[in-house]
Amino acid sequence: MYQFDFLPVIGAFDQLVFGAWLTIKLSVGAMMIGLALSIVFAWAKTSGPKPLVWAIDAYIEIIRNTPFLVQIFFIFFGLPALGLRLTPNSAALLALVVNFGAYGTEIIRSGIESIHKGQIEAGTALGLTRLQVFRLIVLKPALRAIFPALTSQFIYLMLTSSVVSVISADDLAAAGNNIQSQTFASFEVYFVITAIYLAMSLAFSLLFSLVDKRYFAYPINR
Amino acid sequence: MNFMKKTTAAILGLSLLAATASTDKASAETPEEIKKRGSVNIGMLVDFPPFGIMNENNEPDGYDADVARALAEDLGVKVNLVPVTGPNRIPYLVSNQVDLLVASLGVTPERAEKVDFSDPYAGISISLYGQVDVDLSSAEKLAGHNIGVARASTQDVSITKIAPEGANIQRFDDDASAVQALLSGQVEAIGASNTVIAELEKIAPERFEEKFELRQQVQGIAVRPGSDALLEHINAFLAKQKDSGALNAIHEKWLGSPLPDFLTK
Repeated sequence: MYQFDFLPVIGAFDQLVFGAWLTIKLSVGAMMIGLALSIVFAWAKTSGPKPLVWAIDAYIEIIRNTPFLVQIFFIFFGLPALGLRLTPNSAALLALVVNFGAYGTEIIRSGIESIHKGQIEAGTALGLTRLQVFRLIVLKPALRAIFPALTSQFIYLMLTSSVVSVISADDLAAAGNNIQSQTFASFEVYFVITAIYLAMSLAFSLLFSLVDKRYFAYPINR
Repeated sequence: MNFMKKTTAAILGLSLLAATASTDKASAETPEEIKKRGSVNIGMLVDFPPFGIMNENNEPDGYDADVARALAEDLGVKVNLVPVTGPNRIPYLVSNQVDLLVASLGVTPERAEKVDFSDPYAGISISLYGQVDVDLSSAEKLAGHNIGVARASTQDVSITKIAPEGANIQRFDDDASAVQALLSGQVEAIGASNTVIAELEKIAPERFEEKFELRQQVQGIAVRPGSDALLEHINAFLAKQKDSGALNAIHEKWLGSPLPDFLTK
């Protein structure tokens, strides 16, 4: 019978908290920047000039059809050859932004394309500017439609961030690996970090469902 | 409410996981059990040339592989080489995924609490190895520098012990990544074994140099605690291999030098 001994894990709890905090910072930061990027790209893809559309398509296809592990290796080990040297944590953030941006663009594009053309024409007929039409008539209902997909993409991003320990960024998974390697209490450590990831995922999906209710409730009550 | 349902499901799942994990036992093993089964699962590193590599046919090979094959032959069973990594090799052993490790596992007191070691079958020396234009001649000078190591390796433990405040130790999952970080300039030095250093001297001559020696270590074959009969069998096998010169031949083949004196006792 394997004897569970959680004492070494509890003794290193500060490391786990520190790691979990970095995981949250990385995921939330990557989502904020990635979401802004996605909105711009999705807008460009649906109403931008052809060469720009091709460039964005190429970016999306490359990122969505290659493993995240390879992308992060490329950014951390490859970019120094081009003169850009990033610390492990910033390389991790960049990799997550680039990755989330590709999926986010496609999700938001699908939302934008779900908006009926007549709605946009109505906006134009009312004398709204192009930006106002995009912001008020296209983007908000589009976000309402794709919010569940965006939520799961964010959760997926947070779980994917556990890979960043391969370039020695010190996130939750890295903290777990460090404790495991010092104490060899592998079951206990992985059990605890599984529980932490699970708790974070559930907490964020709760948060997102509250945001959904608050900002994207439909029909709008006034 | 949907969220409550999800939470309940997750907690249920987690408890199920706990139940499965707790039935996994780290059980002792005997040579008879292995012989009856007709095959032996041996864990080895594949990212630690020349001890463990993947050869051109994408099969595990190297010093460890040759020792593992000879041991299986001695037991009269088929060998099944299982690639493991530095950080997960002991978990692989204690969770019964492999029968024993011929995984360049350095003999340390901390590890000896979790596994039982055979007599040494190989030995290496470990040094700090870094860029020639950075002065890292002693431990105090590591402050303010980036040092790469493979997580949980002997290099990691010994550098962590001597590193002063302000030294930035970056832990990678394996030696290959640490070496890559050194080559790409992400770290200024790494903790490396003499074998890795020899390989690096070939790929990138005169860019790096050995700064100082961290420790010498011997490597042992590891089995689960309490597997005394199996351990006895392995020790007898190693004694035979050392006497007959077979182990020396494997050492010559992979490292280009005879077996070090401190192993031939």
